Amino acid sequence: MFSRFPYGRAPFWIAVAALVSTVTWAATRGLQAPRPDLVLVTFTQSHYDAYRRAVPAFERAHGVTVQVEFTNWTPLRSRLQNAMLAGTEVPDLAEVFEGSLGFFTRGPVRDIGLYDLTDRLHADGLYDRLVPSRFSLWSAEGRVYALPHDVHPVMLAYRRDLVAAAGIDVATLDTWDKFVAAGQRATRDLDGDGVIDRYMLDLRADGDWGLTTLLFQRGGALFDPQGNVAFDSEIVAQTILWYLRQSEGPRKIATDAGWGQSTAKAMTDGLVLFFITPDWRSFQFEEEEPWLRGKMALMPLPAWAPGERRTSVWGGTGLMMMKASKHPELAWELAKYLYFDPASLGEHFAETNLVPVLKDAWTRPELDAPNPYYGGQRIGRMYTALAPDTPPVYSSPVDAVARAKLNEAYSRCVTKYRRDGEAGLLETIRSELSRAADDVRRMADRTRTLTEAG
Amino acid sequence: MAATRGTKPGAKSGSKPGAWPYLFLSPYLLLTGVFFLVPFVNAIVLAFYETNGPRGRVFVGLANFRFLLHDRTFHTALGNTTLFALASVFVQLPLAMGLAVLLNGGGKRTKAILRLILFSPNLVGQIFVGILFSVLFVPRYGLINKTVQALFHWGLEERWLGDPRLVMPAIILTSLWLWVGLNMIYFLAALQAVDKDLEDAARIDGASGWKLFWHVTLPSMRPVVVFVTVMSVIGSYQIFELPLALLADTNPPGFGPNNSGLTLITYLNEVAFRSGDLGLGSAVGWIVALIIFTVSLIQIRVSRIAED
Amino acid sequence: MNAPRIVLFVLAATFVALLAASVGSVARRARALRFGRTALLGLACTTVLGPFVWLAAAIFKDRTVLNEYLFFPPPPKWSHATMNLDNFRELLRGHETMHGLIHFPRYVLNSVLYATVGTTCQLVLSSLAGYALAKYRFRGKNALMLFMLGSMMIPQVLLLAPLYKMAVDLGMVDSLWGLLLPWMVSAYGIFLFRQACMAIPDELIDAGRIDGCSEFGIYFRLVMPLVRPMAAAFCLVSFLSFWNAFFAPNIFLHSQDKLTLPVVLQLYLNQYKLDYGVFLAGTALAMLPPAILFLALQKEFISGLTSGAVKG
Repeated sequence: MFSRFPYGRAPFWIAVAALVSTVTWAATRGLQAPRPDLVLVTFTQSHYDAYRRAVPAFERAHGVTVQVEFTNWTPLRSRLQNAMLAGTEVPDLAEVFEGSLGFFTRGPVRDIGLYDLTDRLHADGLYDRLVPSRFSLWSAEGRVYALPHDVHPVMLAYRRDLVAAAGIDVATLDTWDKFVAAGQRATRDLDGDGVIDRYMLDLRADGDWGLTTLLFQRGGALFDPQGNVAFDSEIVAQTILWYLRQSEGPRKIATDAGWGQSTAKAMTDGLVLFFITPDWRSFQFEEEEPWLRGKMALMPLPAWAPGERRTSVWGGTGLMMMKASKHPELAWELAKYLYFDPASLGEHFAETNLVPVLKDAWTRPELDAPNPYYGGQRIGRMYTALAPDTPPVYSSPVDAVARAKLNEAYSRCVTKYRRDGEAGLLETIRSELSRAADDVRRMADRTRTLTEAG
Repeated sequence: MAATRGTKPGAKSGSKPGAWPYLFLSPYLLLTGVFFLVPFVNAIVLAFYETNGPRGRVFVGLANFRFLLHDRTFHTALGNTTLFALASVFVQLPLAMGLAVLLNGGGKRTKAILRLILFSPNLVGQIFVGILFSVLFVPRYGLINKTVQALFHWGLEERWLGDPRLVMPAIILTSLWLWVGLNMIYFLAALQAVDKDLEDAARIDGASGWKLFWHVTLPSMRPVVVFVTVMSVIGSYQIFELPLALLADTNPPGFGPNNSGLTLITYLNEVAFRSGDLGLGSAVGWIVALIIFTVSLIQIRVSRIAED
Repeated sequence: MNAPRIVLFVLAATFVALLAASVGSVARRARALRFGRTALLGLACTTVLGPFVWLAAAIFKDRTVLNEYLFFPPPPKWSHATMNLDNFRELLRGHETMHGLIHFPRYVLNSVLYATVGTTCQLVLSSLAGYALAKYRFRGKNALMLFMLGSMMIPQVLLLAPLYKMAVDLGMVDSLWGLLLPWMVSAYGIFLFRQACMAIPDELIDAGRIDGCSEFGIYFRLVMPLVRPMAAAFCLVSFLSFWNAFFAPNIFLHSQDKLTLPVVLQLYLNQYKLDYGVFLAGTALAMLPPAILFLALQKEFISGLTSGAVKG
């Protein structure tokens, strides 16, 4: 019959396929399950598992249906933002990764697709019960747009046995100067083949989290509280100088132990002794290197000067509520249930080592338990003791750009240091930082024009 | 021949076509009016605005272009894309020509089969090729690293997609695999159309091998060579999906370590659709269009001059 | 020495030996060159086919042995533990989204719908316009031709930002049909069909008119059957462009249940970062329809593809 189809054989079959698929499409349109009352999207597997366990109780208590969706973060972010601005279907609640709030709060306030949660937090008396420094990450123009999920205080994890064997007394390592001095003794070539096979510290070769964690501890920042670019400061320049010397210098104490499998190997072989470790990473070690059980320990970060802050912050997740939600009150209830229920937060800590942002939950017995992986240390106590001291991290619409530009500046400094050594190094660092900051400012200025026009 | 006869249709029959041609053309006119002309005019307008996704917008004059002039990330994108275009013209096309010449000498059946094989990667979309090669470039276990190691005793541990120096070579290698066959088919068709008498005459005059190819065969293929070169440049300046899939897990996706895989359209996609500034995106679009237009014009001019 | 090196060495050595032995003999020299050519073409084909063979092996290997064997495991090692369909099973497993449980066939359906409807529309609308431009005289024809050729010079990316804004304003965003509409007709297709229709003698069309065919009937029953090779070639070009489209679908489609294969597989690339047999299986499946179509149409396709370039 297709010989009579004027366009020929292949177009005939394609037209048939078009017809069949259209009919199938139309027929299955009605078969889609109705949208549940609430939809929550997360990008973290462990959160997904925890929420899936917790949600049935909420569904029973409120007589509603809740759907938890697990998606990959990178595509989620842009699709969500596009959907919010285009007015197409979005979830009611969505978890987002640190540094991305500014992306969703771009433009004039009336165009922001998120609920301003500030008043709700005050009305429900939650505002004062959370770690105050954690609101900064989720605020824009002084208003809170997402609930902080975690605190993520930072410590150092180390191989207890190897550190003791190296004759290091961690109790004396209360400043970075002392840490470096001890590190210069510990970092060496153990088997005499001319290659260093013992480093004191794991620092990322391209800066990134290693650099930001250390500069946050020192009081440096990417953005000031008003959201202005602030990383072209002397503190950041000095931190880069320190970082360069420790990871590239003639008396370096640090190497890049990589991530995942390579970290496991570095840790097992003792290539690196100390690892920068926020609460979530302490759990990652337990999961990925179970054979080091009992051989590991945690200690607060050394301070930059005696008596100063002994922790920092690395990472963070927040929960946004969409204005497009049909059931905002129910969504708020679910958010509070998943984030601020002290009993389940205690369980959550036992499962994940995550320090809850709700201070009431710190008294839960789970946070007092000795942890066999870390040689019986009460790591819950240790992390919560540091938690109030975590530095605030301010967010901006150009957060991602700032982090990328800081890395670029750092990699230029590395090139310069490798070529010319210390000569003119600090000047280069300063000028690279100020160029990078100007790049980010140019980007930020554009965003500001938009906000002010609204 | 047939075409010239067809240029005066309807005249002889004397029948009035009336509204029929307009009716036949109406879907095209309607669709192109709404979905080409309107966006085209809007692209001009948008380039002078800053927008918040498709929602709010504010007039900024030439600020978009001034921003691009000073943005180092954009300069990197321009550099990478130009490098890619150069590689397409100076590596890919000679390779395609070489394959076409090799193939042209073969028997008819082998020619058909080999043509089919060499063309086959073109059926696969850039995204799929990117996905496949992102795994082939895996250090230590990947097919490419293992092959390179076996042949040259180098490269088993190279992180093609993680080392800023190797990212562009990786993208170029992938594009070679993908597009050599397509260009080869054009060259092959042109080779087959070359006047055999002309070649024979030259052969009698004593030209052979390389000389024959350079002075007789290649010049008579000029229109196709120009066409393929111009199309390569146009395509190269719009490369996007391939690096995006290859470098999907860098942040932002497609940028690569230290922006080493960033292309102009990846930049456009980032500012317009992932950061929501359709205005700045339009400005980038105009710059790409302008580059493509200028380069094509120059190429066509140069080939004309060479002809004279 | 390892296998690939030995092969290369043997090939090169044979070529050199043949060349050395050919001094003074034109026939032997030609034989040496023929050998060299065959060897080079063989290498080129191996390079092109290598990734496909690797892919075919990878999707059936168990995740635990994926990196153990470069291609297929040796036959004695074949067992359920090394070769199975787990990747496909994981691929076909439903994923919970806010639009309910979505299975992989949904994305296949979306892709098939998008590509086949798009191709059919482009074929009909472009051939109609191409025929009109080739066989009628009417006012504004030259201007229209000029405009059409000019529009082909404008890169598509330039129009995406304003098109997206327009789609949002018109409520066409996040819909497969809204995504199809702007691309239902192709200027390139019109151009191809115009060229093909020009070759049809006017006498034939006039004869059709005398027989009482309507103008549409002439197009549909007389002209189109005569330009079938072009229709086939254009069909494949058009199908490939829709099937492999990523940029526009990635921007225009927001809901998970509306995504097409390239968009979804790009998502999987991140999702199954450590289990890449899964997205490779999806990629392999996505390669099949274009391959089938190509095998069916390759003859028309290659002549159609090159006709414009070689003649023009």
